[in-house]
Amino acid sequence: MNQPEENDSLDVLLREQNPHIDDDGFTGRVLAALPRRHRAWLRPIFLLVVTAVGSALAIRWLPWENLSVPDLSALLSLNSQVLLPWLLVLSVTATLTWAIMAAAQWED
Amino acid sequence: MSFTDADLIARVLSREDQHAFGELVRRYQSPVRAFLARLARGDAHLADDLAQETFVKAWRKLQTYRGSAKFSTWLFGIAYNEFRTVARQRKELALEDVEEPAAEPAKSAADSRSDLRLDLTEALEELHSNERAAIVLCCQNGLTHEEAAQVLDCPVGTVKTNVLRGKEKLRRRLPDYQHL
Repeated sequence: MNQPEENDSLDVLLREQNPHIDDDGFTGRVLAALPRRHRAWLRPIFLLVVTAVGSALAIRWLPWENLSVPDLSALLSLNSQVLLPWLLVLSVTATLTWAIMAAAQWED
Repeated sequence: MSFTDADLIARVLSREDQHAFGELVRRYQSPVRAFLARLARGDAHLADDLAQETFVKAWRKLQTYRGSAKFSTWLFGIAYNEFRTVARQRKELALEDVEEPAAEPAKSAADSRSDLRLDLTEALEELHSNERAAIVLCCQNGLTHEEAAQVLDCPVGTVKTNVLRGKEKLRRRLPDYQHL
């Protein structure tokens, strides 16, 4: 903790000559320039809702009947019939995870 | 009835009360504008633009103010960041390392106080921006070294060094201050 040195005339001079600036309409100009404040919780909630709806639609249209646990040879063959449904599931999961993390860490 | 800063901040956050925020602006406009004017080497127009942007940013980010530091310290931090951003954009930081002018001959003891005010302003303008910011925050606005370090985003030791070095330069440039 620093304390101004009472007997230091330079400190006294600096304190004395700290200019006071009259408002002179400044506050009014600031208030006129203020944007509408968004409530802090609104945007992350919006992000979560939009992502959840998007994910629900994606899940609705996922080709569940084609989802089966692929064996190694099917994966190595890069068969799109096998891989595509799993890629879609992974995409939806990744998007949801990202949205939840983004919403949790949201800062304006 | 006088509201505390915490009361006003709570009103802004809960009700988006612009009048409460206006009261905060009125309380702190002078030190923030004076701080920025010192940093901007007396360019009052630039200082006022930066001060306005500081308060608009404070309005936007008010919910991130945790109350662990004084509200004024938090505002000074935003103001300093605004100045640094503009200084970088204008490449003014490269101009900050000004040559130290040779010490002027001592003036007579009869010099007026207004002359001294002018001398102090000029002497402050000749300091490196880090020294000037540390001096203005600690010696003129009464912030502790720790608070100034928070504002300037640097170690406490650096603030102490900048204050000492800045005051030493001011003493050399204001030889008459002792006779006041």
